[in-house]
Amino acid sequence: MTATEVPQAVSAVTGVRPPRRRRSWRRVWMGVLALALTGVVWQIAAVLIGDSVTLPTVPETARTFVKYLSTPYPEVQGKTLVEDALISTGRILAGFVLGTVAGLLLGASMAGVRLVRELADPLIGVMRPLPPIAFIPLLVVWFGIGEVSKVALIFFGVLPVVTIATLGALDAVPAELLHASRSLGASPVYTMLHVRLRAAVPGVITGMRIAMGGAWTSIIAAEMIAATGGVGFLILQAGNYLQTPLIFSGIAEIAVLGFAFDGLLRLLLRLADPTVRR
Amino acid sequence: MSLLRQRRPVVGTGSGRLLDQEPADAAGVRLREVSKTFSRRRRPGRTALDGVSLDVEPGEFLCLLGPSGCGKSTLLNILAGFVPADSGEVLVGGRPVTGPGPDRGVLFQTPMLFSWLTTWQNVLYGPKARGTLTPQVHEEAERLLETVGLADARDAYPHELSGGMRHRAAFARVLINRPGVLLMDEPFGALDAITRAAMQRFLLELWQQQRMTIVFVTHDVEEATLLGDRVCVLSGPPGGTKAVIDIDLRRPRSYDDTETLEFVNAKRRIREVLER
Ligand SMILES: Nc1ncnc2c1ncn2[C@@H]1O[C@H](COP(=O)(O)OP(=O)(O)OP(=O)(O)O)[C@@H](O)[C@H]1O
Ligand SMILES: [Mg+2]
Repeated sequence: MTATEVPQAVSAVTGVRPPRRRRSWRRVWMGVLALALTGVVWQIAAVLIGDSVTLPTVPETARTFVKYLSTPYPEVQGKTLVEDALISTGRILAGFVLGTVAGLLLGASMAGVRLVRELADPLIGVMRPLPPIAFIPLLVVWFGIGEVSKVALIFFGVLPVVTIATLGALDAVPAELLHASRSLGASPVYTMLHVRLRAAVPGVITGMRIAMGGAWTSIIAAEMIAATGGVGFLILQAGNYLQTPLIFSGIAEIAVLGFAFDGLLRLLLRLADPTVRR
Repeated sequence: MSLLRQRRPVVGTGSGRLLDQEPADAAGVRLREVSKTFSRRRRPGRTALDGVSLDVEPGEFLCLLGPSGCGKSTLLNILAGFVPADSGEVLVGGRPVTGPGPDRGVLFQTPMLFSWLTTWQNVLYGPKARGTLTPQVHEEAERLLETVGLADARDAYPHELSGGMRHRAAFARVLINRPGVLLMDEPFGALDAITRAAMQRFLLELWQQQRMTIVFVTHDVEEATLLGDRVCVLSGPPGGTKAVIDIDLRRPRSYDDTETLEFVNAKRRIREVLER
């Protein structure tokens, strides 16, 4: 009997973890480098053009950005960059949270109840390709130019994306995984909560990231068309007065906020899915 | 943990670790005239099983062999309780099968570990889901991980394990429930030849110590001959029992036996039945 020898293939398979720390720092530095290079190219172009309305220099833009963090624009009845950012962020968060919750519920009931799926499928199919900003005038007619129309806009943009992501993620859970859970002694309800829903979480978060990108597009458009505050409103005002450095400041602010929100969602994904922790 | 060092599985090394725990009560399996037809829309249903009868003794290692599509997986799914039979009698341990349960451990072609749980949490999944987590269960889980050679990988996630390690983790996850029957559907079919041989040896040693009943689906004649006490050849499709062949090779068996004359003869007998 050769029981004492264990084949190499089993005993020698070792998983050496890559040096993760170092690799993630490398990514950060590469990102910083890319940004710095962009700044250099921008600065050279601005100096060559020599016209601050067409393209302001990097220091001028930075000065403007810092100044309007605490100075209202326009001076009469205007808001600071920080206030505008808070306004836009509030609208996004309200619409995004509501839309995500509704999308989760709708997607989960579509996955679980045949009738709901058959009824909702064509509606979602029609709704998804529609750009949410097509509804801005309608929402203004219905809800005015206050907060409700903005939140509703985000809501209807987020809803189909999260619904489809939830449905797809739940459908993609293999039946054998559920069988495995049941035959290990878990009840149907426990299996539903701890395996089917749990296995779908990464797919849902990916859907939320896509929806978040769309939400920023919609909110900026809405604020440019019908609003008295928010980053979109600020950019439009700055454009009307040929305040190009301020336009860039507004755009930079959107970039920072968008990056921050995506970073939060990415963090959530890392917590939920060990396979992306690298 | 910076490194997943790999200790070898201790099954069969004579340490007697598995013997510390009482062996699970092996359960017998009894199938009588089991039929199953899958209904299809607007077409006549497809008969997967057409009156299969089979007895498996407690503690026996039975291999199910047959051509593709003859209903081997269907039969195993019926035993596991994932799909109901249309007619016939399905008894495991004397009780009719009404649904899945921890008394029948199932191992799939892929390990089907929960990717968001560590090896340790995967192993404890069953007891936790049933609310029977006790310090003794923790101790047993530790012993089992040692048995399957994954003591050093207990905090690793499935994607950090090799194919063979994942299969052994799946074994531990099932064995913690002390099932009377193990149901396996081509469990090593997706592994490379070397890992596969290692897993076959691992399974043989495990079974020789624990002696639970095993129903093992394969379409590899050599694998069936090496592992089984008996080989049940299904005809079809639709599947019916064609013949049950005794493999009276000596136990314990090992890979070296595959070159003996008796082994080759046993293989030939099975192949003749298959081709009949
Ligand atoms: N869920 C299902 N719906 C409809 N038909 C099915 C279903 N599952 C299996 N069948 C049919 O039942 C028959 C037996 O299938 P089964 O998977 O049991 O075969 P098998 O012996 O396991 O084959 P293989 O060796 O290829 O795995 C096949 O004809 C298959 O098409
Ligand atoms: Mg099969």
